[in-house]
Formats: sequence, C-alpha cells, structure tokens
Amino acid sequence: MRELIVIENLSKYYNKFLALDNLCLRVAENENVGLLGPNGAGKSTTLKILCGLIRLSSGAAYIDGINIAKKPEQALSRIGAIVETPEFYPFLTPEETLSYLGRLRGMRGDGLRHRMKEVIQLVKLEEWGTVKIEKFSRGMKQRLAVAQALLHDPPILILDEPALGLDPRGVVEFRQIIEEVGKEKTVFFASHQLGEVAQICNQVAIIDHGKLLAYDNIAQLEEKYQSLEHAYLALTGEPLE
Amino acid sequence: MSEFEKLRVVTRYEFLKHIRRRRLYVILGLTLVAELAVLIGLPALMDGYPDNVMVMAALLTIGPSLATIGAVFFAGDAIAGEFEGKTGYILFTNPVRRITLVTGKYLASCVAVILLIIFGYAIVCISLLAIYGNVPLETAKSFGLCLLFAGSVLSVTFFFSSVSKGAMGATVMALLFIMVISGIIESVLLMAGKPYWFLLSTGGDSVAAVYGGYELFLEGIMPHGGMLPFEIETPDIGLTALSMAVYLVVGFLLSIWISGRRQLA
Repeated sequence: MRELIVIENLSKYYNKFLALDNLCLRVAENENVGLLGPNGAGKSTTLKILCGLIRLSSGAAYIDGINIAKKPEQALSRIGAIVETPEFYPFLTPEETLSYLGRLRGMRGDGLRHRMKEVIQLVKLEEWGTVKIEKFSRGMKQRLAVAQALLHDPPILILDEPALGLDPRGVVEFRQIIEEVGKEKTVFFASHQLGEVAQICNQVAIIDHGKLLAYDNIAQLEEKYQSLEHAYLALTGEPLE
Repeated sequence: MSEFEKLRVVTRYEFLKHIRRRRLYVILGLTLVAELAVLIGLPALMDGYPDNVMVMAALLTIGPSLATIGAVFFAGDAIAGEFEGKTGYILFTNPVRRITLVTGKYLASCVAVILLIIFGYAIVCISLLAIYGNVPLETAKSFGLCLLFAGSVLSVTFFFSSVSKGAMGATVMALLFIMVISGIIESVLLMAGKPYWFLLSTGGDSVAAVYGGYELFLEGIMPHGGMLPFEIETPDIGLTALSMAVYLVVGFLLSIWISGRRQLA
C-alpha cells in the first residue's frame, strides 16, 4: 500500500536537548494514526516538522513521497493541518480568512466560494461567516481551524490536539467530522485523549523521549495490554493504579 | 500557481488587514493634526506665514514625515506577530515560500504608507496653493525622498520584526533606532562638523532639507536669522538618498533571510 507519510531516522535537537531520537514511522494511505505520548514526548515536534514549521536535525520526512526539507511547498500542498492552538487575524472574518488561505492554495472563483460554504457549514459557523474573528471564543476559532484544514480537500490531515478548547458538544461534533472525512483521508493525529484516538484512529504510535515505543493496531494493543489505556501506561513507564 | 500570483494574494490580504486596523486611521488623523498645527499655529505665533514659500513647504513636510514614522507600527508586527500571536501556525502551513510572505507583507505596508504620504502631500500642495498660489517644484523631490525614507523605515522595522520575539519589542527597537540612536549620533556629528549623511534620521531630514537647506529653514522661522553656536551643513541629498536606498535593500534582504530561518517551535 502507498505510504503517504514516511519518517526515517528523524532526530531533532533544540540546542542540546534531543526532542526526537531516530524516529521511524510510516503511515499508509487512508490510515488514521494516533500519535500518543506524555508531555514532551516529541509529538508536536514530529507534526511541526511534517508541517514545515521547524527544521529537522537529521533523518528525513516525506509527505506523499516528497521530502519536506527539500521541497516544502510541494509537500505542504498535500496536507491540511491544525498545529497547537492556532490563532487567526482578529480583524478578518472567517470568509475572508478562508478566501485568503484558499487563494494561497490556488483555489478561485465559484469553486472556492462553494467549498468555503461547505466547510463553514461543516463546522457549524454559518451564522458567523462575516463576523470579525476578534469576537470568537476559543472553541469557535478551533472550528475555523478545522475548516481551513479541510478547505482544499487535502489527502492528508495532520492534527495536533485539534479538540483543545472545544466544549463537550464541540468535541463530539469534531470527532464526527474527523471520523467522517477520515474515511477518505490519511489522518495523523496527536492527542492526549485516548478515547478520542480510539474513536478516530485504527492505529496508534506511542512515543516517549523522542523514541517510538509501539506502533500497532489498536485492537492488537488492547488484546495484548487489556486496553489502550493500559498499553499507554505500560509503555510510557507510568505506574498502573 | 506561480509565486508571483501567491505574492499578489498575500499583498492583497495583508493590505486588507491594514485597512481593517485602527492604526491606519490613527496615523491618518495624526498627519492631519500635524499639518493643521502648522497651518493654524504658525500665523498665530509668528504674525503670519513665512514670506518664502520654500520655508512653509519645508515646515509642512512634518505631516508626511510623521506618516512615514507611523510605518513602524505597520511593520513592527509583520513578522514577529506571526510567531508571537501564533497566526503563523495557520499561515506557514500553506505551500508558500517565506520570501513570498515577507515580500507580500512588505508591499502591503508600502501601499498603506504611500497612501498616507499622498494624503500628507495633498494637504501640503493644497495649503501652498491656497496661501502662496504656487507649489514649488522641490515638492516632487521631497515626495520622492519621503517615499524612499518610508521604504527604508519599513525595511529597518521589518529587520527588527524578523529578529524580535514580540511585535511590541520590534516596534520599540525600530523607533529607538530611527528616532533616538540615529538622532543622537546625527546631533553629535552635526555639532562636530563631521559627515552624517549615512544616518537614517538624516534621510528623514532630507525630506524638508530639499527645499533649500537648514540655513533657509532657520532664517525663515527665526526672526533674527537663526543664530546657532555652530555651523550647520546640509548633507548632500544624493548621498542621503543613496544611504536610504542601502537601508531599504539591506534591511529588506536581512528580514527575508532571517524570517526564512526562523522556526515556529
């Protein structure tokens, strides 16, 4: 099967601190993979490298076969991303923001307008499309972040704690959206919410101290460790209650 | 999609941001207030306007010069703001080169500042026509130098914005560099009779100096001919323009290079 995300011996130093230590990971087309690990494990660093936000120290990362370090623009054209808790320009409206980002990705005219309407409906921001973002709550901004990630209908979604800041209803709706779009896309998804990962993903990669500890099917991990939670706790070395 | 098309998109939406922000209108208001202060305050304090149209034209350049310094507020957060405000997490994950983003931001800031400068010079021209019935040809030179000064101020501020963690820090550093540090060095060199054409603050002075030098200016506004304890030599306008061009190019290139290397960790 075609591999849309390939991470080969990826290492990343922040000055002398080793955040990623020869990480290797391959995500096949249409797979939904959850990236789990404690705080500081290297999840965000991995996703940021894949999104071209930070440089790798050694190794290589490929998006749809394109080396992210060598051809970042080409690689980024294949992804939709939500990294950390992104902010938007407060004095623009969601429609203007999506129009800006869509045009940067080569979308135009009726096609862009139609798609903007679709994604705004999808994240339930129809009534807020022409309101300045400065009036938005954290959760509404997070919905807009989902909309911009899906706008250009990318084959790969890279999501870093995307449900952060959403209220319980928003979390449920968000999971439904990702679950639905995830049927036709490759989703690489970092989260602390094991339940969320289990609902959206069929595979998980567990990392700690920048190293890959396990990369397996959720069902197999549950079989081996009783539950995903037990697998996570056992692998990351935290004592079981 | 070519990078040139992306540049057009970035410039368009960055300009939209300037239009939406209050600071553009604040600087516009300040420019108007500065011009009105000269137009109303001068006759009240000096028993009428100066006889020489050149002196009045030089005095009225305070408005456009102020608008140019206001450019610092457009540029201060252009790059630093993307990192500090986390908007970079959205913008930088798009397939656009950093050079395109920085250039688009720079061009949008240029357009905003040029509009402010045009507004300032429109007041200058209308005022001179109303008071003296003519506008000196030097106004065109002053306008050109003001545009060049605005470009160099933007470049220097973009440089500070590319190295700063926060937008406020970049804005303060740029203002300190242009208004305070450069101004102090200029004063010291001026009093010592040494060349100072290479300073950015001198570029700002040239916008008014083009009307006939500092002597004419002092004679026009000081009743007894501008007595100072030292001689003031007006710097060569050509050299000053050259130094502003260097600030413009070097500041801009450095800001592109540095922001291309910055990571959003």
